[in-house]
Parts: sequence; C-alpha cells; structure tokens
Amino acid sequence: MTTRRSFIASLLAVSAAPATGWAAVGDPSYLAAAKQGDGSFVLIGLREGGDEAFRVPLPARGHAACAHPSRAEAVGFARRPGTYALVIDCISGEVLHELSAPEGHSFNGHGAFSADGTVLFTSEQVAEGSEGRVGIWDVDAGYARVSDIPTHGLGPHELRLMPDGQSLVVANGGIQTDAFDRNQLNVDTMQPSLAYVGFDGSLLERVELDPELHQNSIRHLALRPDGLVGFCMQWQGEAGAATPLLGLHRRGAAPVLCEAPLEDELVMSGYAGSVAFAGGGSEIAITSPKGGRMHRFSDAGEFLGAVSRTDVCGLATHDGGYMASDGLGGLILVQGKTPKPLRRAEVAWDNHLVRIAG
Amino acid sequence: MKKTLTVCAALLAAPLALPARAGVPEALKEHILPGYAGFAQATETLAGAAQADCTAPALRGAWMHAFDLWNAVADIHIGPSETGALPVAFWPDSRGFTPKTLTKLISGEEEIGHDPLGYGDVSIAARGLYPLEFMLYDPQFSDYEKGSYACTLVQTMTRDLARQAATLDAGWEEQFADVLRTAGQEGNATYMGEDEAVRAIYTQILTGLEFTADTRLGRPLGTFERPRPTRAEAWRSGRSLRNVLQDSKGAYDMAAALADWDLPQSKAALDRLYELAERVEDPSFQKVEDPGERLHVEILQQQVRALSDALEQEIGVRLGIQPGFNSGDGD
Repeated sequence: MTTRRSFIASLLAVSAAPATGWAAVGDPSYLAAAKQGDGSFVLIGLREGGDEAFRVPLPARGHAACAHPSRAEAVGFARRPGTYALVIDCISGEVLHELSAPEGHSFNGHGAFSADGTVLFTSEQVAEGSEGRVGIWDVDAGYARVSDIPTHGLGPHELRLMPDGQSLVVANGGIQTDAFDRNQLNVDTMQPSLAYVGFDGSLLERVELDPELHQNSIRHLALRPDGLVGFCMQWQGEAGAATPLLGLHRRGAAPVLCEAPLEDELVMSGYAGSVAFAGGGSEIAITSPKGGRMHRFSDAGEFLGAVSRTDVCGLATHDGGYMASDGLGGLILVQGKTPKPLRRAEVAWDNHLVRIAG
Repeated sequence: MKKTLTVCAALLAAPLALPARAGVPEALKEHILPGYAGFAQATETLAGAAQADCTAPALRGAWMHAFDLWNAVADIHIGPSETGALPVAFWPDSRGFTPKTLTKLISGEEEIGHDPLGYGDVSIAARGLYPLEFMLYDPQFSDYEKGSYACTLVQTMTRDLARQAATLDAGWEEQFADVLRTAGQEGNATYMGEDEAVRAIYTQILTGLEFTADTRLGRPLGTFERPRPTRAEAWRSGRSLRNVLQDSKGAYDMAAALADWDLPQSKAALDRLYELAERVEDPSFQKVEDPGERLHVEILQQQVRALSDALEQEIGVRLGIQPGFNSGDGD
C-alpha cells in the first residue's frame, strides 16, 4: 500500500515537466495583486527596481498569491473564506486551473509550493469548527487534489515550506469562526500557535506564546534560509494593549518576542500585515497598514526603527533591504533606515508582496 | 453648431481637467505650525508658573490654557506627532495606569521626580497633560503642600511637558513641514505625490473627529443601561465638553486652511455643534445617567459625525480621496 508519505515522496521525485519559466515574463522578482483605477483587479510581476514585468487580469480581489518556483505560474487565493483558488499562466493571463476547496473546507488565503514545484500546499480550515488543514495538490497532474493533513491548530493563515524542503511551518491564527457568518467565536479562549508539520501530517513542534498573549493571532511568516522563522501577529484583545507583534523562532528553541517602545507599538494599532527578512537576513520587519508604519528589528529581536508610510502593507525581501508596497501605489526600497521611493504606480497594491524563488 | 458643441464639451470637462487645489502650505502656515508654537509657549508659561508656585490652585489657570492650545493640534498624528502626541496626551487610560504610576512615584518619593531631564524615561502614563490634571484637580492628589515631593513632581512634570512641546514644535518647524511641502519631489518616500500630503492632513481631520465622536463622547455615554461618566475625558477639571468643541473646531480650522474654497456645510455643522453644546448641563458629562442629559450628549455626538460627513463631502469627495485600501481591510 502506498503511504501518504511515500506518495508525496514519489511526487517530489518526478522532475517538473519542462514549461515556460519566469524569464518568459520578464524575470520578475515579485508578485503583487493590485486594484486598478477602473476598479478591476490584476496580478502584476515586479522586478527588483520596481518596474513592471507583466500584468494579467484577476477576476476579483484576492488575498495572497504564491509563485511556482520555476514555471511562470501563480496561484491566487480568493479572499477568506475562499472556496476557490486560480492557477494563472502569467504569460497569457489564462486561468489554467480552478482549484476548489473540498466540501466543508475553505481556503485561508495562502499557499506554498514544494521546492521543486511538484506539490502545492494550501492553507485551509474545516468550516465547522475551524480546524486547520493543509491541502496537498499534485501540480503535474493538473493540480489534482491528493489529500490533506492537519495544521494542529485552528484557523491557519500563512504556511511556508521550511528550508529542509521536508516540512512546513504553519501560522495557526487560533480563531474559530462561525461557518456561516464568519463571526469570531472564541476570542476569550483562542490559542494561536506556530506549528511545524511533516508532509505526512506529523506534528514536529508546536510553539505557543505566554497565556497573556493568547489573543495575539499568529498570521504571517517569513523564513531565513538557516531556518529562522519570523511570525507576525494581530492582536484580538482590548485596543491599546501594545503587545509585541513580531516573534522569532528557531526549531527547538524558545521564541523571542520583538518589542518596540510603547509609543511606537501603540501606533501600530495591534496589527501587523506582512513580515519579511531584509536581504542578507540580518534584520526583519513588519508592516501595519492601520498604523501606516513599518517596524524594523535585528535578528535578535532588538528594535531598529520605524518607517512611516500611509497604508503600507506589502513587504518582501530585496537584495538591498526590503521592498514595501502600499495602497497608494507606492513601491519603496528600504535600505537600513532609509526609505527610497522607487515609483508610484497607478494602482493600489494589495496586502502582500510575494517574492518569487530563485 | 459644431463649434457650440465643442465649447459645451470643454465647459463640461473643465471641472475634471482642473485639479482641485488644496493648500498643504496654508494648512501648515495658518494652523499646524502656529498651533504647536502656541502650545510650546503655553507649556513654558505653565512650567514657569510651577517654578514660582507649584501648588494646585496656583497652576490650574495655566494648565487650562495649555490644554486649550493643545486642542488645536491634539488629533494630529503624523510626523513628530506620530509618536510625540501620545506622551503629551495619554488618553484613554482604560487600565488606570496614570493614577497607579503617580501613586507609585509619590509614595516611593522616587528620585526621577526630581529630574526634569530624566523624567522622559518615565512611563507615558505619568507624563503630559492628564497626570497633571490628577495632580491639580483630583482630591486624592491635589492637596499637596509647598516643599512636598508632590510639589516638586509637578514642577518636574510641567518642565518635561514644556520640553516635549518644544521638541514637537521644532520637529514640525524644522523638519516635517518640509516633508509635507516637498511631497512628490525626488527622494520623498513619505509622500510620493502632492495629493498624498493633502490626503495625510485630510485623514488627520477625519480620524480626529471620529475619535471625538466615538471616544471623547462615546466612552462616557457607554450604553443606555450602563453609562460611564467617569470614562469621560478630563472630567476632573470639568473640561470634557470644552475638549469636544475645541477639538472639533481644530479639525474644522485645519480643513478650512487646507481647502482654498468655501466649506459652507461644514461651517454650518460646526456652528450647530456649538449651539447644541449649550443644552448640555454638565460640561464634564457626569450627568449622562439622566436620560435627558444623555440625549443632549448623544445629539452632540451625532453632530460631530455630521461635521465629519460635511467635511468628507466638501473636501474628500471633491478631491476623490478614497479610504485606505489595506488599512480598512484586515487579514
């Protein structure tokens, strides 16, 4: 009998079918969804300098996209609770596949490819009870649903492939939502976690914060090649609590919380929307569109400073630091403490800026 | 015939073709910069007065005056005020940090209370206008004698406040005003277009009014079943209503300076707010448990929202300013 583990291993072993790579669409380094002036939505490929490599239409506002590591294919997830995800050919703009969440599941806005691009992992939750699942899809079989494994927590949001290529790290937001009206049901008892999950669904490690931070929903992730994980949070408790919004974790060690001075923390409004390591990996930053701010920290968790920018949310690693994007169309290169405007596009950049591997 | 049509088309197109001009330099010159300069001066006066006589009755007038001037700029949270406004005005203090921190300082006669320069390291809950209100008006704190630790603490706090005000004033005058004025110019990563600087000021106006309606008025109102009068802002000094009016006027004044066109609806809404305020019996909102008084305060709250709506129509809609794409989203 083929076990799930051996089946996934067999998928990973098959080399990816030759297809047209990112070079064919102008070698973008980033994917970003955006709203155009006429109200329509697009997926745009951006180069390191902020110039546009390609632009293809999206049928509706999405949440995040994930980029196939070699083929010019992106998977765009519907806004939560999403029942579909679209595999888009970034050359033609054609929708190659429409993925439907299995009955009773919904997509939670994020996904990740295996290193060789043969498997797609999707963040999902069971509508009834909000139990987290990772959907597993066979890319070369036309994104066929293979199976799903647990995230070992409720309401998962972002998930990322660990650098070992053999496991996933999942941000279990901890929030249980009503299957019909999306109301939060467990704010008083929620328990977010950072979970490391093997491809067979085994729980390798789970990290929970101190009880007084149980309302700090862990939602987005950044990874450094050596396995250091940055996780950013959204506070669900009383306003003004000024809790830390970023944590660092390394397998087997205790998490390190990154705190900003109180005045700065309060400006963030208890909300971090994206997290990314700077190029080189010695620092990490989070953005808060609600606070119009980006906070930088050292990789040991020390506060380095803030950059103010209205509606900033998208954030990704750049060779020279970070690339940040915002709802006013701004693309900003942040090098050390200095923000350098690259350009302002005639679009509103959506929540996330996704780095294309390689 | 054809010519006439062309003229008509041109006339129709004109309002769209001409960008509505809004005056960031005017908002700075007429409202923001004089606002901070005035507050710096008033806090210097307060600190000077505390040096001469630090007892509560002697300082109330100067403190009141400083708060009046603060209200012109109280709801600005950009540039130096993004983090700098908070230690001046730490409110609401839902967990009661201000009285707790003051009690701890006073009962322990902590050394930092003698050190105006070092006082900047003290928790923001014990800095700025609100802890001074406790010291000057709350019976548990205000009966201190000359020469007491509390008296020195008040001198230290007023000196620290004056220094904060001077720092804000200098930060705006010498740095941030130029960031706003040079919006859209090369290298300006804060405002990548003139429209963004306009938007930033406009946002301060609307969020300030929202705070006045939801928090300055909403907190004491609580719910009908459970009004919360002691959650009002600055009720100890009896200036809760005064703050609502001055903060609303500050928002309107900044809007009027920003727009180089008339704002008749907004002006009417502000005037109406002042009229309605006369019906409120207790300016510290301590009678909101009375249904009649509650209604008056609720009407005031509606009128602040009406002022906000009028400004949105007369400025935001005209300039085509949309709410933040990501900030209002959340995920």
